[in-house]
Amino acid sequence: MPSTAIQYQAEVSTPLLQEVMERSGQNLNACYQCRRCAAGCPVGDVTGVTPDRLIRMIVLGDKEGAMNNKLVWQCVACYTCGTRCPNNIHTARITETIKQMVKEAHLKPLTPKIANFHSSFLTSTSHFGRMNELEFMGLYEVRNTKDELVGGGGLKAVIDELKTQARLGKTMMKLKRMHFGMEKIKGLSEVKRLYKKGTEK
Amino acid sequence: MEMAYYPGCSLHASSALYDIQCREVLSRLGVDLREITDWNCCGATSAAKTNDFLSIALPARNLGIADASGYAEMVIPCASCYSRTLLAQKTLENDKNLREKINVELSDKVQGKIRLLSILDLLVEKAKSGDIGSKASRKLEGLKPACYYGCLQTRYPMDMQLPDDIENPQGMESVCEALGAKAIDWGYKTDCCGASASVNDSDVALKLMSNIMKDAVGRGANCLVTTCPMCQMNMDAYQNAGGEKYGVNERLPVYFITELIGVSMGISSVELQLERHFIEATALLRGLKLL
Repeated sequence: MPSTAIQYQAEVSTPLLQEVMERSGQNLNACYQCRRCAAGCPVGDVTGVTPDRLIRMIVLGDKEGAMNNKLVWQCVACYTCGTRCPNNIHTARITETIKQMVKEAHLKPLTPKIANFHSSFLTSTSHFGRMNELEFMGLYEVRNTKDELVGGGGLKAVIDELKTQARLGKTMMKLKRMHFGMEKIKGLSEVKRLYKKGTEK
Repeated sequence: MEMAYYPGCSLHASSALYDIQCREVLSRLGVDLREITDWNCCGATSAAKTNDFLSIALPARNLGIADASGYAEMVIPCASCYSRTLLAQKTLENDKNLREKINVELSDKVQGKIRLLSILDLLVEKAKSGDIGSKASRKLEGLKPACYYGCLQTRYPMDMQLPDDIENPQGMESVCEALGAKAIDWGYKTDCCGASASVNDSDVALKLMSNIMKDAVGRGANCLVTTCPMCQMNMDAYQNAGGEKYGVNERLPVYFITELIGVSMGISSVELQLERHFIEATALLRGLKLL
């Protein structure tokens, strides 16, 4: 008999579901698809996949779908889905978990620009212990340029990006909101040890 | 009284004006901010999105330093730093293994003693006690602020005891009232402005911001007021781009709450550094004879 419902098979679902539940600390089994999260998601109309859909994919064991959808990357971490969920599921924690799983599996992120932004932020912070905006943005633009040139939007995307940032930088300079000093902390070795612990397998 | 203070990276760089204002305004309210020594970046949204361990361990180091400072309370003006630091404190309270794993690397161990305050917590207290009202000699009549909370002032990715309503907070409104300004009622006060996406996903960020602008303008606000430097920077620096792309003609100055309090206390616009806004921020105040 034909059916539109996707079959749930415990043996297919369990490995992915268990991993996401353990790492994110969220009980995905509690989701009863009320879609309050979807109603409140500010990026849902752009991503297509809303928090309830992402949860369902994971519950059904659809690893490919769960790791390769726009919500995982374009989630703005506003935490609206979680605070409105009647079952206390914070889907933003799930998108955070899946991003890390994608990285560990050495898969290409769906939106390299967003991935580069956050990884550059953390790399920059590991250099001095504090985030220095110029160094962070420099690092991000280098990584972004590389990705745009290799399989991204090409030279035009690079030029558009750099023009936009240069315009912002010029205004920031005029308003004295650009900061040139590099702040470095004395306890940098401590921070570096934390980074080491956070990145070792 | 003296209180520990964590400014965070943004208040040492692009939002240095907020750091200056916080120190000045709070000092006039009887609170001397003591910046904790050798603090590090809290990791912000980027650590949360990319590394679970660091998202707790980075703010944990600051918590250890704050615990060792001897102060009972620490105020954190940046909504993002506040949120990440509070989350780390709560997480480590419940997770002894993780606390041990982090503490072994720290010279100042996390003890979980220090009470964390957002700038709004502190200002609401000062509004309730009457301190703000009595220092606010110039009543901000004619100012119609849309109090903008954004995400991180009220929403956390774990259960949290909150001093205000999640969906319709009133803390900033109560501070505005103490200054003699009647805040408008509106529907986008806790919607996301897309600050973390402004550089890397600008279409999304500009759209989110213009939704907020449309409601604020439509309800008759003549300015926005916020406590979060990420929101301030985003709504200020990208307002022209968002307005052009999504058809919002009006421009609203985006004030830090400390600017409104400062103006009301009679602090000069130069001292408050009001000229460092992207959207001109002094004309409205001059027109209302508040500067």
